[in-house]
Amino acid sequence: MIAADIISDGLFAAIAAMGFGSISDPPMRAFPYIAILAAVGHATRYCLMTFLGVDIASASLIAAFIIGTGSVWFGRKVFCPMTVLYIPALLPMVPGTYAYKTVFSLIMFLQEISSPTQGSEYLQSMIYNASVSFSVIFMLAVGATVPVFLLRERANSMTRGSRFI
Amino acid sequence: MTQEYVTEIADFIARYLSYMLGAGVHTSRVVRNSKRLGTALGVDVSIHTSQKTATLTVCGKDDTSVMNTRVLDIPAFPISFEWNADLSALSWAAYDKKMTLDEIRMKFDALVSKPKMNPVFVLFMASLANASFCRLFGGDIWAMLVTFTATLIGFFTRQHLTRRHVNHYIVFIVSAFVASLCASTALTLGIDTAEIALATSVLYLVPGVPLINGVIDITDGHIQIGISRLVNALMLIVCIAIGMSGTLMLVKDSLL
Repeated sequence: MIAADIISDGLFAAIAAMGFGSISDPPMRAFPYIAILAAVGHATRYCLMTFLGVDIASASLIAAFIIGTGSVWFGRKVFCPMTVLYIPALLPMVPGTYAYKTVFSLIMFLQEISSPTQGSEYLQSMIYNASVSFSVIFMLAVGATVPVFLLRERANSMTRGSRFI
Repeated sequence: MTQEYVTEIADFIARYLSYMLGAGVHTSRVVRNSKRLGTALGVDVSIHTSQKTATLTVCGKDDTSVMNTRVLDIPAFPISFEWNADLSALSWAAYDKKMTLDEIRMKFDALVSKPKMNPVFVLFMASLANASFCRLFGGDIWAMLVTFTATLIGFFTRQHLTRRHVNHYIVFIVSAFVASLCASTALTLGIDTAEIALATSVLYLVPGVPLINGVIDITDGHIQIGISRLVNALMLIVCIAIGMSGTLMLVKDSLL
């Protein structure tokens, strides 16, 4: 049952990554690798958060690091820069609901500004949502960029000798 | 090296630079690729970038008396990872194969005039993506169907408004409103996970690529342009929230 949960999480994350990625027009040859990276990354984050109780920011950092390392490996195969593979794969993990709930909390706070109890509750929820969304986005990008810093030579010559131009 | 040749190189690198920055490539890659093209053609290239303009100086490698400096506008292209991959490969090809300026220019024109992905395919894929996103948040099959339909209508609205060159903030507000209004039918239909369908119906609009690019730019030390990208994305998120709060005020009388 647990295995089925993990596999379905990876599968739906892969579909989400391909779909959201296709809005930004990636090369067709990159799609299978985007799907694999997204599935592995999202399933890792799911396992860390559900079974080990890791918080969302640290889990995102580890998942993004795995995606970034994978994109070093796959990028050479399809002659794509690492960002072309790892940005679409990270898209399903971008905390969109937290981001717009920050704005909602702000609007509600302004409406309840004269009531001290409710107003401060909304203010608290605004800070909570804002800090979660900012730190998750930061951790996602940093985690995926760390392999670039470690393997600078290899990471910067992904498209050298490309067969596709 | 003559002044005419340096001017010609600057003309080309200016186009290359503005296409890459306009298509949403992170700054350090654009700078590195442009410098590589410059090395291939025997010139030094220095670039200063900001959100809407860039400054470019091209000067001869040995003879710094021939130079060309200009400020260029960055056009707003839709984000394209295909250009990112192809134009990066072009800079390596120019460097390794010692291509002449004319060859590079012809190759560049061929690469940027490649056809884009079919909009109907993108529409279908984005709707499927949002439906599976609804599943990741714990929605059932009916909630997924509602999200799929809502995204289909919302994304169609966005594509049409963008094609008519409506201001992109207005595009985001209207399509967030339309998508969430369609998803709010889940409340009337009495689906168990209607709230999840409503909450995920607008997520296809979240500007994930500029958000991640902004942080990448900041970690690379291009802090000004990184912050500009983040602020730009933040404005779009505010627009999504405004559009969605229109629906929530109509159907629920409360935002949270």
